[in-house]
Amino acid sequence: MKHIEQIPNKGILLFKTCMVSNEYPGIESSSTYAFDRLDIDYFVSDEQSCCTGLGFYFDLFDQLSTTAIAARNFAIAKKNGYPNITTMCSTCYAINKKACSLLNKNEEVRTKINSIFKQAGFDDLIYEQNSLDQVDNFYHVVEIFLGKTKRIGALNRIDFSGVRVAAHHACHYYKIHYDDVIGNPENPQLIDTVAKSCGTDVVEWYEDRTLTCGAGFSQRHINRETSLKVTHAKLESLKSAGIDLMLHMCPNCQIQYDRYQPVIEKEFGTKYDFVHMHISQFVALALGADPDKVCGFGTHSVRLDDFLNSLK
Amino acid sequence: MIEEATEKISGYEIPECETLVEIVKKSLRTSDNIGIDRCMQCGACTASCPAARFTDYNPRQVVKRVMENDFSVIEDKIIWNCFYCYTCHLRCPRNNSPSQVVQVLRQLSINEGIGLDKIDMLFEYGNVFAEMGVSTLPPLYLQQMKNDFDKRWFEFKKNLDAVRSELELGPIKIRENGHHEIRIILEETGFFERIERLKKWQTQKRIQNKVAREMGNETYRTNPE
Repeated sequence: MKHIEQIPNKGILLFKTCMVSNEYPGIESSSTYAFDRLDIDYFVSDEQSCCTGLGFYFDLFDQLSTTAIAARNFAIAKKNGYPNITTMCSTCYAINKKACSLLNKNEEVRTKINSIFKQAGFDDLIYEQNSLDQVDNFYHVVEIFLGKTKRIGALNRIDFSGVRVAAHHACHYYKIHYDDVIGNPENPQLIDTVAKSCGTDVVEWYEDRTLTCGAGFSQRHINRETSLKVTHAKLESLKSAGIDLMLHMCPNCQIQYDRYQPVIEKEFGTKYDFVHMHISQFVALALGADPDKVCGFGTHSVRLDDFLNSLK
Repeated sequence: MIEEATEKISGYEIPECETLVEIVKKSLRTSDNIGIDRCMQCGACTASCPAARFTDYNPRQVVKRVMENDFSVIEDKIIWNCFYCYTCHLRCPRNNSPSQVVQVLRQLSINEGIGLDKIDMLFEYGNVFAEMGVSTLPPLYLQQMKNDFDKRWFEFKKNLDAVRSELELGPIKIRENGHHEIRIILEETGFFERIERLKKWQTQKRIQNKVAREMGNETYRTNPE
Protein backbone atom coordinates (compact mmCIF):
# COMPACT_ATOMS: atom_id res chain seq x y z
CA MET A 1 0.00 0.00 0.00
CA LYS A 2 1.21 3.49 -0.84
CA HIS A 3 1.22 5.92 2.09
CA ILE A 4 0.31 9.58 2.14
CA GLU A 5 3.81 10.45 3.42
CA GLN A 6 5.25 9.11 0.14
CA ILE A 7 3.44 11.66 -2.02
CA PRO A 8 5.94 14.09 -3.53
CA ASN A 9 5.40 17.80 -4.10
CA LYS A 10 8.34 18.29 -6.44
CA GLY A 11 9.83 16.78 -9.56
CA ILE A 12 6.37 16.16 -11.00
CA LEU A 13 5.86 15.63 -14.71
CA LEU A 14 2.19 16.44 -15.31
CA PHE A 15 1.54 13.69 -17.85
CA LYS A 16 -0.65 14.89 -20.72
CA THR A 17 -3.64 12.75 -21.57
CA CYS A 18 -5.35 12.31 -24.94
CA MET A 19 -8.90 12.46 -23.62
CA VAL A 20 -8.12 15.54 -21.54
CA SER A 21 -6.45 17.27 -24.48
CA ASN A 22 -9.27 16.39 -26.87
CA GLU A 23 -12.41 16.42 -24.72
CA TYR A 24 -11.87 18.30 -21.46
CA PRO A 25 -8.82 20.56 -21.85
CA GLY A 26 -9.99 22.42 -18.73
CA ILE A 27 -8.77 19.48 -16.65
CA GLU A 28 -5.17 20.27 -17.68
CA SER A 29 -5.47 24.03 -17.11
CA SER A 30 -7.16 23.33 -13.76
CA SER A 31 -4.35 20.98 -12.73
CA THR A 32 -1.65 23.56 -13.45
CA TYR A 33 -3.70 26.32 -11.78
CA ALA A 34 -4.08 24.21 -8.62
CA PHE A 35 -0.45 23.05 -8.65
CA ASP A 36 0.72 26.68 -8.90
CA ARG A 37 -1.31 27.66 -5.84
CA LEU A 38 -0.24 24.61 -3.86
CA ASP A 39 3.47 25.23 -4.55
CA ILE A 40 3.85 21.96 -6.43
CA ASP A 41 7.04 21.83 -8.49
CA TYR A 42 5.89 20.45 -11.87
CA PHE A 43 6.69 20.42 -15.56
CA VAL A 44 4.57 19.94 -18.69
CA SER A 45 6.54 18.63 -21.66
CA ASP A 46 5.72 19.35 -25.29
CA GLU A 47 7.72 16.26 -26.25
CA GLN A 48 5.72 13.76 -24.19
CA SER A 49 3.39 11.54 -26.19
CA CYS A 50 0.22 9.77 -25.15
CA CYS A 51 0.51 6.50 -23.26
CA THR A 52 -1.26 4.49 -26.05
CA GLY A 53 -3.77 3.23 -23.44
CA LEU A 54 -6.75 3.90 -25.65
CA GLY A 55 -5.27 1.76 -28.43
CA PHE A 56 -4.03 -0.84 -25.96
CA TYR A 57 -7.43 -1.43 -24.36
CA PHE A 58 -9.11 -1.36 -27.76
CA ASP A 59 -6.98 -4.51 -28.35
CA LEU A 60 -5.00 -2.84 -31.12
CA PHE A 61 -1.75 -1.80 -29.45
CA ASP A 62 0.52 -4.58 -28.22
CA GLN A 63 2.36 -4.55 -24.89
CA LEU A 64 5.85 -4.30 -26.45
CA SER A 65 5.00 -1.17 -28.48
CA THR A 66 3.20 0.37 -25.52
CA THR A 67 6.21 -0.26 -23.29
CA ALA A 68 8.63 1.22 -25.85
CA ILE A 69 6.51 4.38 -26.12
CA ALA A 70 6.43 4.56 -22.30
CA ALA A 71 10.23 4.21 -22.15
CA ARG A 72 10.52 7.23 -24.46
CA ASN A 73 8.27 9.26 -22.14
CA PHE A 74 10.23 8.09 -19.09
CA ALA A 75 13.43 9.36 -20.72
CA ILE A 76 11.78 12.77 -21.27
CA ALA A 77 10.73 12.89 -17.60
CA LYS A 78 14.22 12.00 -16.36
CA LYS A 79 16.05 14.26 -18.82
CA ASN A 80 14.07 17.25 -17.55
CA GLY A 81 14.56 16.35 -13.90
CA TYR A 82 10.87 15.60 -13.30
CA PRO A 83 10.79 11.84 -12.67
CA ASN A 84 7.51 11.73 -10.71
CA ILE A 85 5.06 10.96 -13.49
CA THR A 86 1.64 12.22 -12.45
CA THR A 87 -1.43 11.59 -14.54
CA MET A 88 -4.89 13.12 -14.85
CA CYS A 89 -6.23 9.84 -16.23
CA SER A 90 -6.45 6.47 -14.54
CA THR A 91 -5.56 4.52 -17.68
CA CYS A 92 -2.37 6.56 -18.23
CA TYR A 93 -1.52 5.78 -14.60
CA ALA A 94 -2.01 2.03 -15.01
CA ILE A 95 -0.31 1.80 -18.41
CA ASN A 96 2.80 3.69 -17.25
CA LYS A 97 3.14 1.65 -14.05
CA LYS A 98 2.92 -1.64 -15.92
CA ALA A 99 5.44 -0.46 -18.52
CA CYS A 100 7.87 0.59 -15.81
CA SER A 101 7.46 -2.71 -14.04
CA LEU A 102 8.22 -4.62 -17.26
CA LEU A 103 11.26 -2.46 -18.01
CA ASN A 104 12.61 -3.11 -14.52
CA LYS A 105 11.79 -6.78 -14.17
CA ASN A 106 11.76 -8.27 -17.67
CA GLU A 107 15.29 -8.32 -19.04
CA GLU A 108 14.21 -9.59 -22.47
CA VAL A 109 11.78 -6.70 -22.94
CA ARG A 110 14.25 -4.10 -21.66
CA THR A 111 17.02 -5.41 -23.90
CA LYS A 112 14.73 -5.56 -26.92
CA ILE A 113 13.48 -1.98 -26.44
CA ASN A 114 16.95 -0.62 -25.72
CA SER A 115 18.29 -2.34 -28.84
CA ILE A 116 15.57 -0.60 -30.89
CA PHE A 117 16.63 2.75 -29.40
CA LYS A 118 20.31 2.05 -29.98
CA GLN A 119 19.83 0.92 -33.55
CA ALA A 120 17.78 4.02 -34.34
CA GLY A 121 20.40 6.30 -32.78
CA PHE A 122 18.10 7.24 -29.88
CA ASP A 123 20.76 6.65 -27.24
CA ASP A 124 19.17 9.26 -24.97
CA LEU A 125 16.06 7.09 -24.69
CA ILE A 126 17.82 3.97 -23.41
CA TYR A 127 16.21 2.73 -20.20
CA GLU A 128 18.53 1.82 -17.35
CA GLN A 129 17.08 -0.84 -15.05
CA ASN A 130 15.45 0.62 -11.91
CA SER A 131 16.10 4.20 -13.03
CA LEU A 132 12.42 4.70 -12.21
CA ASP A 133 10.42 2.79 -9.64
CA GLN A 134 6.97 1.48 -10.61
CA VAL A 135 5.55 2.54 -7.23
CA ASP A 136 7.53 5.58 -6.09
CA ASN A 137 7.62 7.44 -9.42
CA PHE A 138 3.99 7.12 -10.52
CA TYR A 139 1.07 9.14 -9.19
CA HIS A 140 -2.38 10.37 -10.05
CA VAL A 141 -3.22 14.06 -9.50
CA VAL A 142 -5.76 13.09 -6.85
CA GLU A 143 -2.90 11.66 -4.78
CA ILE A 144 -1.01 14.94 -5.03
CA PHE A 145 -4.14 16.78 -3.84
CA LEU A 146 -4.57 14.24 -1.05
CA GLY A 147 -1.14 15.22 0.23
CA LYS A 148 -2.26 18.87 0.32
CA THR A 149 -5.74 18.69 1.84
CA LYS A 150 -4.91 21.01 4.74
CA ARG A 151 -3.63 23.64 2.35
CA ILE A 152 -6.56 23.19 -0.03
CA GLY A 153 -8.99 23.57 2.88
CA ALA A 154 -7.20 26.71 4.06
CA LEU A 155 -7.16 28.28 0.58
CA ASN A 156 -10.70 27.28 -0.35
CA ARG A 157 -12.73 30.34 -1.37
CA ILE A 158 -16.12 28.71 -1.87
CA ASP A 159 -18.76 27.75 0.65
CA PHE A 160 -19.56 24.18 -0.37
CA SER A 161 -21.65 23.45 2.71
CA GLY A 162 -24.76 21.51 1.81
CA VAL A 163 -23.39 20.50 -1.60
CA ARG A 164 -23.97 16.76 -1.86
CA VAL A 165 -20.95 15.17 -3.55
CA ALA A 166 -20.34 11.60 -4.72
CA ALA A 167 -17.01 10.19 -5.85
CA HIS A 168 -16.36 7.87 -8.77
CA HIS A 169 -12.91 6.39 -8.27
CA ALA A 170 -11.75 5.21 -11.67
CA CYS A 171 -11.28 1.45 -12.12
CA HIS A 172 -7.84 1.68 -13.72
CA TYR A 173 -6.53 3.58 -10.71
CA TYR A 174 -7.60 1.22 -7.93
CA LYS A 175 -8.44 -2.14 -9.49
CA ILE A 176 -5.35 -2.84 -11.63
CA HIS A 177 -2.44 -2.01 -9.30
CA TYR A 178 -4.54 -2.49 -6.17
CA ASP A 179 -1.51 -3.04 -3.94
CA ASP A 180 -0.38 0.53 -4.62
CA VAL A 181 -3.61 2.33 -3.74
CA ILE A 182 -3.55 4.81 -0.88
CA GLY A 183 -6.10 3.24 1.46
CA ASN A 184 -8.41 0.30 0.97
CA PRO A 185 -8.91 -0.59 -2.73
CA GLU A 186 -12.32 -2.06 -1.88
CA ASN A 187 -13.43 1.37 -0.72
CA PRO A 188 -11.05 4.09 -1.91
CA GLN A 189 -11.56 7.47 -0.23
CA LEU A 190 -9.14 9.75 -2.07
CA ILE A 191 -11.68 11.92 -3.88
CA ASP A 192 -13.97 11.95 -0.82
CA THR A 193 -11.16 13.20 1.42
CA VAL A 194 -10.18 16.02 -0.94
CA ALA A 195 -13.84 17.04 -1.37
CA LYS A 196 -14.38 17.00 2.40
CA SER A 197 -11.40 19.31 2.91
CA CYS A 198 -13.44 21.97 1.08
CA GLY A 199 -16.47 21.47 3.27
CA THR A 200 -18.71 19.52 0.91
CA ASP A 201 -21.32 17.09 2.16
CA VAL A 202 -19.84 13.82 0.84
CA VAL A 203 -22.09 10.81 0.30
CA GLU A 204 -20.10 8.11 2.06
CA TRP A 205 -21.59 5.14 0.22
CA TYR A 206 -24.09 4.69 -2.56
CA GLU A 207 -25.28 1.55 -4.27
CA ASP A 208 -23.03 0.67 -7.22
CA ARG A 209 -20.24 2.87 -5.90
CA THR A 210 -17.64 0.45 -7.30
CA LEU A 211 -19.42 -0.19 -10.61
CA THR A 212 -17.42 0.74 -13.70
CA CYS A 213 -18.50 3.82 -15.67
CA GLY A 214 -19.65 1.71 -18.61
CA ALA A 215 -17.31 3.12 -21.27
CA GLY A 216 -15.38 -0.14 -21.45
CA PHE A 217 -13.19 1.20 -24.28
CA SER A 218 -14.59 -0.63 -27.33
CA GLN A 219 -17.82 -1.44 -25.45
CA ARG A 220 -19.25 2.03 -26.02
CA HIS A 221 -18.98 1.35 -29.73
CA ILE A 222 -19.45 -2.40 -30.22
CA ASN A 223 -21.92 -2.99 -27.37
CA ARG A 224 -23.47 0.46 -27.00
CA GLU A 225 -26.70 -0.79 -25.41
CA THR A 226 -24.91 -2.65 -22.60
CA SER A 227 -22.48 0.20 -22.12
CA LEU A 228 -25.33 2.65 -21.53
CA LYS A 229 -27.21 0.20 -19.28
CA VAL A 230 -24.20 0.11 -16.94
CA THR A 231 -23.95 3.90 -16.87
CA HIS A 232 -27.70 4.22 -16.37
CA ALA A 233 -27.56 1.83 -13.37
CA LYS A 234 -24.96 4.00 -11.67
CA LEU A 235 -26.71 7.26 -12.49
CA GLU A 236 -29.90 5.85 -10.98
CA SER A 237 -28.13 4.96 -7.74
CA LEU A 238 -26.68 8.48 -7.61
CA LYS A 239 -30.13 9.92 -8.19
CA SER A 240 -31.39 7.90 -5.20
CA ALA A 241 -28.51 9.25 -3.13
CA GLY A 242 -29.66 12.79 -3.96
CA ILE A 243 -26.37 14.25 -5.10
CA ASP A 244 -25.55 17.63 -6.63
CA LEU A 245 -22.07 16.91 -7.95
CA MET A 246 -20.24 13.80 -9.13
CA LEU A 247 -16.44 13.98 -8.98
CA HIS A 248 -14.21 12.05 -11.39
CA MET A 249 -10.53 11.25 -11.77
CA CYS A 250 -10.53 9.96 -15.35
CA PRO A 251 -11.56 11.80 -18.53
CA ASN A 252 -12.95 8.62 -20.08
CA CYS A 253 -15.33 8.17 -17.12
CA GLN A 254 -16.17 11.86 -17.38
CA ILE A 255 -17.09 11.44 -21.05
CA GLN A 256 -19.29 8.50 -20.14
CA TYR A 257 -21.16 10.39 -17.42
CA ASP A 258 -21.12 13.99 -18.57
CA ARG A 259 -21.45 13.50 -22.33
CA TYR A 260 -23.81 10.52 -22.07
CA GLN A 261 -26.02 11.75 -19.22
CA PRO A 262 -28.28 13.72 -21.65
CA VAL A 263 -28.28 10.71 -24.03
CA ILE A 264 -29.37 8.38 -21.22
CA GLU A 265 -32.03 10.85 -20.08
CA LYS A 266 -33.46 10.75 -23.59
CA GLU A 267 -33.13 7.02 -24.24
CA PHE A 268 -34.20 5.79 -20.78
CA GLY A 269 -36.85 8.46 -20.22
CA THR A 270 -35.37 9.82 -17.03
CA LYS A 271 -33.92 13.06 -15.66
CA TYR A 272 -30.85 13.76 -13.54
CA ASP A 273 -30.27 16.87 -11.52
CA PHE A 274 -26.52 16.74 -10.96
CA VAL A 275 -23.34 17.87 -12.67
CA HIS A 276 -19.87 16.44 -13.24
CA MET A 277 -16.31 17.59 -12.87
CA HIS A 278 -12.81 16.18 -12.56
CA ILE A 279 -11.09 16.44 -9.18
CA SER A 280 -8.59 18.92 -10.71
CA GLN A 281 -11.44 21.16 -11.86
CA PHE A 282 -13.01 20.95 -8.41
CA VAL A 283 -9.80 21.89 -6.59
CA ALA A 284 -9.04 24.71 -9.05
CA LEU A 285 -12.58 26.07 -8.60
CA ALA A 286 -12.21 25.91 -4.82
CA LEU A 287 -8.91 27.80 -5.06
CA GLY A 288 -10.49 30.63 -7.04
CA ALA A 289 -10.15 29.60 -10.69
CA ASP A 290 -12.41 31.14 -13.32
CA PRO A 291 -15.05 28.52 -14.23
CA ASP A 292 -14.71 29.21 -17.96
CA LYS A 293 -11.19 30.54 -18.53
CA VAL A 294 -9.45 27.99 -16.28
CA CYS A 295 -11.83 25.13 -15.49
CA GLY A 296 -13.19 25.05 -19.03
CA PHE A 297 -16.70 24.10 -17.91
CA GLY A 298 -18.01 25.42 -21.23
CA THR A 299 -16.79 22.20 -22.85
CA HIS A 300 -19.06 20.03 -20.69
CA SER A 301 -22.28 18.53 -22.00
CA VAL A 302 -24.20 18.84 -18.72
CA ARG A 303 -24.27 22.58 -18.16
CA LEU A 304 -22.94 23.80 -14.82
CA ASP A 305 -24.39 27.32 -14.86
CA ASP A 306 -27.16 26.69 -12.29
CA PHE A 307 -24.84 24.69 -10.04
CA LEU A 308 -22.15 27.39 -10.12
CA ASN A 309 -24.72 30.14 -9.51
CA SER A 310 -25.93 28.27 -6.43
CA LEU A 311 -22.46 28.44 -4.83
CA LYS A 312 -21.63 31.30 -2.52
CA MET B 1 10.39 -9.43 -43.34
CA ILE B 2 6.79 -8.53 -42.67
CA GLU B 3 6.00 -11.97 -41.29
CA GLU B 4 9.17 -11.83 -39.16
CA ALA B 5 8.12 -8.53 -37.61
CA THR B 6 4.59 -9.64 -36.90
CA GLU B 7 5.89 -12.85 -35.40
CA LYS B 8 8.03 -10.80 -33.03
CA ILE B 9 4.98 -8.97 -31.70
CA SER B 10 2.89 -12.13 -31.60
CA GLY B 11 5.69 -13.85 -29.72
CA TYR B 12 5.40 -11.38 -26.87
CA GLU B 13 1.61 -11.18 -26.89
CA ILE B 14 0.92 -14.80 -27.75
CA PRO B 15 3.96 -16.95 -26.97
CA GLU B 16 4.13 -20.33 -28.64
CA CYS B 17 2.86 -22.81 -26.07
CA GLU B 18 0.94 -26.05 -26.01
CA THR B 19 -1.94 -24.93 -23.86
CA LEU B 20 -4.09 -21.85 -23.41
CA VAL B 21 -3.10 -21.67 -19.74
CA GLU B 22 0.60 -21.53 -20.68
CA ILE B 23 -0.06 -18.86 -23.32
CA VAL B 24 -1.93 -16.79 -20.74
CA LYS B 25 0.83 -17.18 -18.16
CA LYS B 26 3.63 -16.27 -20.55
CA SER B 27 1.92 -13.43 -22.43
CA LEU B 28 3.37 -10.00 -21.78
CA ARG B 29 -0.19 -8.74 -21.30
CA THR B 30 -0.72 -10.68 -18.07
CA SER B 31 0.77 -10.22 -14.60
CA ASP B 32 3.88 -12.28 -13.83
CA ASN B 33 2.13 -14.03 -10.98
CA ILE B 34 -1.29 -14.51 -12.57
CA GLY B 35 -3.09 -17.25 -10.62
CA ILE B 36 -4.95 -18.98 -13.43
CA ASP B 37 -3.66 -22.38 -12.22
CA ARG B 38 -5.16 -21.63 -8.84
CA CYS B 39 -8.67 -20.74 -10.05
CA MET B 40 -11.16 -22.66 -7.87
CA GLN B 41 -14.20 -21.61 -9.90
CA CYS B 42 -15.66 -19.70 -6.94
CA GLY B 43 -17.39 -17.22 -9.24
CA ALA B 44 -16.34 -14.06 -7.39
CA CYS B 45 -15.38 -12.68 -10.80
CA THR B 46 -18.81 -13.28 -12.31
CA ALA B 47 -20.57 -11.97 -9.21
CA SER B 48 -18.62 -8.69 -9.53
CA CYS B 49 -18.71 -8.34 -13.31
CA PRO B 50 -20.71 -5.50 -14.92
CA ALA B 51 -20.87 -7.40 -18.23
CA ALA B 52 -22.25 -10.48 -16.44
CA ARG B 53 -24.89 -8.30 -14.80
CA PHE B 54 -26.27 -7.10 -18.12
CA THR B 55 -25.32 -9.81 -20.65
CA ASP B 56 -24.61 -13.56 -20.89
CA TYR B 57 -20.89 -12.96 -20.37
CA ASN B 58 -19.50 -15.16 -17.59
CA PRO B 59 -15.81 -14.71 -16.71
CA ARG B 60 -15.79 -17.81 -14.50
CA GLN B 61 -16.98 -19.86 -17.48
CA VAL B 62 -14.42 -18.25 -19.81
CA VAL B 63 -11.60 -19.13 -17.39
CA LYS B 64 -12.96 -22.69 -17.10
CA ARG B 65 -12.80 -23.09 -20.86
CA VAL B 66 -9.23 -21.78 -20.87
CA MET B 67 -8.27 -24.25 -18.13
CA GLU B 68 -9.85 -27.03 -20.18
CA ASN B 69 -7.76 -25.89 -23.17
CA ASP B 70 -10.91 -25.29 -25.19
CA PHE B 71 -9.56 -23.25 -28.11
CA SER B 72 -13.09 -22.68 -29.43
CA VAL B 73 -13.41 -19.95 -26.78
CA ILE B 74 -11.51 -17.56 -29.07
CA GLU B 75 -14.29 -17.90 -31.65
CA ASP B 76 -16.98 -17.14 -29.10
CA LYS B 77 -18.21 -13.57 -29.55
CA ILE B 78 -18.94 -13.40 -25.82
CA ILE B 79 -15.28 -12.59 -25.11
CA TRP B 80 -15.92 -9.19 -26.72
CA ASN B 81 -18.27 -8.24 -23.87
CA CYS B 82 -15.61 -7.61 -21.19
CA PHE B 83 -15.28 -3.96 -20.08
CA TYR B 84 -11.64 -4.31 -18.97
CA CYS B 85 -12.71 -2.72 -15.68
CA TYR B 86 -10.53 -5.18 -13.72
CA THR B 87 -13.12 -5.71 -10.98
CA CYS B 88 -12.54 -9.47 -11.33
CA HIS B 89 -8.79 -8.84 -11.12
CA LEU B 90 -9.28 -6.95 -7.85
CA ARG B 91 -11.72 -9.45 -6.33
CA CYS B 92 -10.15 -12.81 -7.27
CA PRO B 93 -9.01 -14.53 -4.05
CA ARG B 94 -6.46 -16.59 -6.03
CA ASN B 95 -4.82 -13.72 -7.87
CA ASN B 96 -6.26 -14.73 -11.20
CA SER B 97 -7.30 -12.02 -13.65
CA PRO B 98 -10.11 -12.96 -16.04
CA SER B 99 -9.82 -9.45 -17.47
CA GLN B 100 -6.22 -10.13 -18.53
CA VAL B 101 -7.12 -13.65 -19.70
CA VAL B 102 -9.73 -12.16 -22.04
CA GLN B 103 -7.19 -9.68 -23.40
CA VAL B 104 -5.02 -12.62 -24.43
CA LEU B 105 -8.00 -14.47 -25.90
CA ARG B 106 -8.91 -11.43 -27.99
CA GLN B 107 -5.32 -11.22 -29.27
CA LEU B 108 -5.45 -14.91 -30.19
CA SER B 109 -8.76 -14.27 -31.89
CA ILE B 110 -7.38 -11.30 -33.84
CA ASN B 111 -4.31 -13.30 -34.87
CA GLU B 112 -6.65 -15.93 -36.30
CA GLY B 113 -8.49 -13.29 -38.28
CA ILE B 114 -11.56 -13.62 -36.09
CA GLY B 115 -13.36 -10.61 -34.71
CA LEU B 116 -11.47 -8.11 -36.88
CA ASP B 117 -14.70 -6.16 -37.18
CA LYS B 118 -14.32 -5.29 -33.49
CA ILE B 119 -11.08 -3.39 -34.06
CA ASP B 120 -11.04 -2.37 -37.72
CA MET B 121 -12.33 1.10 -36.86
CA LEU B 122 -8.94 1.68 -35.23
CA PHE B 123 -6.67 0.68 -38.07
CA GLU B 124 -5.66 4.29 -38.78
CA TYR B 125 -5.10 5.02 -35.09
CA GLY B 126 -1.39 4.11 -35.24
CA ASN B 127 -0.69 6.51 -38.09
CA VAL B 128 -2.45 9.37 -36.31
CA PHE B 129 -0.59 8.54 -33.12
CA ALA B 130 2.77 8.50 -34.91
CA GLU B 131 1.97 11.83 -36.59
CA MET B 132 0.50 13.68 -33.59
CA GLY B 133 1.97 11.85 -30.60
CA VAL B 134 -1.57 11.92 -29.27
CA SER B 135 -4.29 9.31 -29.42
CA THR B 136 -7.52 10.41 -31.01
CA LEU B 137 -10.84 8.65 -31.17
CA PRO B 138 -11.33 6.77 -34.43
CA PRO B 139 -13.63 8.39 -37.02
CA LEU B 140 -16.34 5.73 -36.67
CA TYR B 141 -16.37 6.17 -32.92
CA LEU B 142 -16.47 9.93 -33.34
CA GLN B 143 -19.34 9.56 -35.77
CA GLN B 144 -21.28 7.70 -33.11
CA MET B 145 -20.53 10.48 -30.62
CA LYS B 146 -21.65 13.03 -33.19
CA ASN B 147 -24.92 11.12 -33.57
CA ASP B 148 -25.32 10.85 -29.79
CA PHE B 149 -24.43 14.37 -28.72
CA ASP B 150 -25.93 17.75 -29.41
CA LYS B 151 -24.70 20.37 -31.84
CA ARG B 152 -22.86 22.23 -29.07
CA TRP B 153 -20.38 19.34 -28.70
CA PHE B 154 -19.66 19.30 -32.42
CA GLU B 155 -19.07 23.06 -32.39
CA PHE B 156 -16.66 22.61 -29.46
CA LYS B 157 -14.74 19.93 -31.37
CA LYS B 158 -14.48 22.21 -34.40
CA ASN B 159 -13.16 25.02 -32.20
CA LEU B 160 -10.89 22.89 -30.03
CA ASP B 161 -7.72 24.84 -30.86
CA ALA B 162 -9.38 28.15 -29.96
CA VAL B 163 -10.77 26.67 -26.73
CA ARG B 164 -7.33 25.36 -25.78
CA SER B 165 -5.77 28.69 -26.58
CA GLU B 166 -8.27 30.49 -24.31
CA LEU B 167 -7.29 28.07 -21.54
CA GLU B 168 -3.66 29.02 -22.24
CA LEU B 169 -2.79 25.50 -23.35
CA GLY B 170 -0.33 24.73 -26.13
CA PRO B 171 -1.00 22.75 -29.30
CA ILE B 172 -2.16 19.14 -28.98
CA LYS B 173 0.48 17.83 -31.38
CA ILE B 174 3.80 17.04 -29.73
CA ARG B 175 6.92 19.02 -30.66
CA GLU B 176 8.57 17.75 -33.80
CA ASN B 177 11.97 16.45 -32.84
CA GLY B 178 13.34 16.11 -36.34
CA HIS B 179 13.61 12.35 -36.50
CA HIS B 180 10.09 11.07 -35.98
CA GLU B 181 10.96 9.00 -32.95
CA ILE B 182 7.51 7.57 -32.42
CA ARG B 183 7.09 6.35 -35.99
CA ILE B 184 10.51 4.73 -35.96
CA ILE B 185 9.85 3.05 -32.60
CA LEU B 186 6.54 1.63 -33.83
CA GLU B 187 8.12 0.48 -37.08
CA GLU B 188 10.85 -1.33 -35.19
CA THR B 189 8.52 -3.06 -32.74
CA GLY B 190 6.58 -4.42 -35.73
CA PHE B 191 3.41 -2.47 -34.90
CA PHE B 192 2.79 -1.10 -38.39
CA GLU B 193 3.50 -4.39 -40.16
CA ARG B 194 0.96 -6.10 -37.94
CA ILE B 195 -1.68 -3.49 -38.73
CA GLU B 196 -1.00 -3.90 -42.45
CA ARG B 197 -1.48 -7.65 -42.11
CA LEU B 198 -4.75 -7.19 -40.23
CA LYS B 199 -5.97 -4.71 -42.85
CA LYS B 200 -5.18 -7.21 -45.59
CA TRP B 201 -7.11 -9.92 -43.78
CA GLN B 202 -10.06 -7.66 -43.18
CA THR B 203 -10.24 -6.80 -46.89
CA GLN B 204 -10.11 -10.50 -47.74
CA LYS B 205 -12.81 -11.17 -45.17
CA ARG B 206 -15.09 -8.56 -46.69
CA ILE B 207 -14.63 -10.12 -50.14
CA GLN B 208 -15.26 -13.63 -48.73
CA ASN B 209 -18.34 -12.43 -46.87
CA LYS B 210 -19.68 -10.76 -50.00
CA VAL B 211 -19.29 -13.99 -51.92
CA ALA B 212 -20.71 -16.00 -48.99
CA ARG B 213 -23.70 -13.66 -48.72
CA GLU B 214 -24.40 -14.15 -52.38
CA MET B 215 -24.26 -17.90 -51.72
CA GLY B 216 -26.34 -17.51 -48.55
CA ASN B 217 -23.64 -18.36 -45.99
CA GLU B 218 -21.63 -15.72 -44.09
CA THR B 219 -18.12 -16.56 -42.84
CA TYR B 220 -16.50 -15.43 -39.61
CA ARG B 221 -12.89 -16.70 -39.71
CA THR B 222 -10.46 -15.09 -42.15
CA ASN B 223 -6.90 -16.16 -41.42
CA PRO B 224 -5.66 -17.23 -44.82
CA GLU B 225 -2.74 -19.24 -43.40
